[in-house]
Amino acid sequence: MIEFKNIAKSFGPKKVLDDVSFAVKRGEVFFIIGASGVGKSVLIKHLVGLLYPDGGEIWLDGQEISQLDEKGMYPVRKKCAMVFQHSTLFDSMTCAENVALPLRKHKGLKQHEALAEARRRLDIVTMGEFGDRYPSELGDGMRKRVAIARALTLDPEFVLFDEPTTSLDPISARRVDKLIRELSDKLGVTSIVVSHDLVSIFTIADRIVMLYKGCVRLLGTREDFKNANDEVVQQFIHGRAQGPMEP
Amino acid sequence: MTNPAHDSSTTPGLEGDFPERDEGFAARAGATALDFLRAGLELYSVFVRTLYYVFRGKREKGALVQQMYEMGNRSVFFVSITMGFIGMILVYQSGLQLRRVIPDFTMLGATYLELLVRDLGPSIASLILATRVGAGIAAEIGSMVVTEQVDALRMCAADPIDFLVAPRFLASLIMTLMLVVWASTVAFFAGAVTAHVFYDLSFRTFFSTQLLDAGDVITGLTKCVAYGAAIPIVSGYCGLSTFGGSEGVGWATTRAVVNSSLAIIILNFFISGAAFLIF
Repeated sequence: MIEFKNIAKSFGPKKVLDDVSFAVKRGEVFFIIGASGVGKSVLIKHLVGLLYPDGGEIWLDGQEISQLDEKGMYPVRKKCAMVFQHSTLFDSMTCAENVALPLRKHKGLKQHEALAEARRRLDIVTMGEFGDRYPSELGDGMRKRVAIARALTLDPEFVLFDEPTTSLDPISARRVDKLIRELSDKLGVTSIVVSHDLVSIFTIADRIVMLYKGCVRLLGTREDFKNANDEVVQQFIHGRAQGPMEP
Repeated sequence: MTNPAHDSSTTPGLEGDFPERDEGFAARAGATALDFLRAGLELYSVFVRTLYYVFRGKREKGALVQQMYEMGNRSVFFVSITMGFIGMILVYQSGLQLRRVIPDFTMLGATYLELLVRDLGPSIASLILATRVGAGIAAEIGSMVVTEQVDALRMCAADPIDFLVAPRFLASLIMTLMLVVWASTVAFFAGAVTAHVFYDLSFRTFFSTQLLDAGDVITGLTKCVAYGAAIPIVSGYCGLSTFGGSEGVGWATTRAVVNSSLAIIILNFFISGAAFLIF
């Protein structure tokens, strides 16, 4: 279980998160939604120590992790993988080498062992034949699948997806949605997904939290969001240009 | 709405005439000093962690060779041409001045060689390298920062200092030394040809080592090592502290070139001073 308790974060004078609290249950597909710049990606980066909160606590399976140092975060990062918005594969490595890197660094496998395992992982996301290609030779959807393979290579219990369907064509986007749902249903992986993609949100989410002005605006199921009597929530989930949400 | 700082009711009397300017200057000076201090501490941290990983880290297979190729082989042409022309200009100008004072060129080569080994070779070649290698390091690492590749590295339990800075540090130490020796040789031969063509000085007379001693060689080699270490550390730090998008990468690259060059000049001052006292 993951718990965010009263998280606050500012960048210079700009306060991005102000007292954000919610919990994510094991095995669920949990979406974090909200307008651009509201702090969704910032929030999930706190969970794996890529950012540190100015205030508040983060609990992962009963352990407070928000003050751990870089080395202390390694076990957390082994447990919680992250798929970045733009895939962020290393340009100088082939796809197989990209997927092998966490195996070598986290598990200490030798290069040839890690590469063999990486190719097996690439097969799972139907990218096995592209193991020797460089990321620059692949399309966005293919790179995203390699990034997912890299994230899953350590068999994490939690996976953080930062806008996984952004810049993908609709078919690739739905394939990614299906993959996220299957991770939860078949492997019991907990997925925390930052997204604006309304189709994804209302297709695969178990629960959703909406951030607005640095705080939690609404936390609930898909039905809760559809039936909410909150103009801000309704404007967002219907994608209306006019409404109470400030630009 | 009234800004209290400009509200005359809050700044009575003469003391109210300059409070905002004084306070603003003090605040700005304090903030700048704190920024310098913070940057200095972070730079020191990068240096210490780099040294740690050079001795204790697990190097990626082929990373050192690749960086040596990028820094060394790809810089040879640029450094050779530049140092060749600088060598020709230096000897030509020195000869002109010499002809006005004492029209005797017998010590021109010996003096030039001493100056080249002790100072000009390492300093000028390293300044040239700082523009090419420093900019390259900062741009590459800065791009990785803004595209979240450095965050992805951290997620893979790979410390960016170990993975990105340490191999560049080692490669720069080795290749700066080799390039400086090569570039100084080119500059010396270019100078010899210039002296022969313009001042009819024989190669035998020019190729004189009578002024060169062990102190000059040790000073020159010390500078090579110091500059070779400074360029990747300063540039790596500039790259890792990149923020924003492509504009941030541009700023990081500019800062890397400016700060690496500054580091070379400052190190030159201290090493030359120490060498003067020791030898």
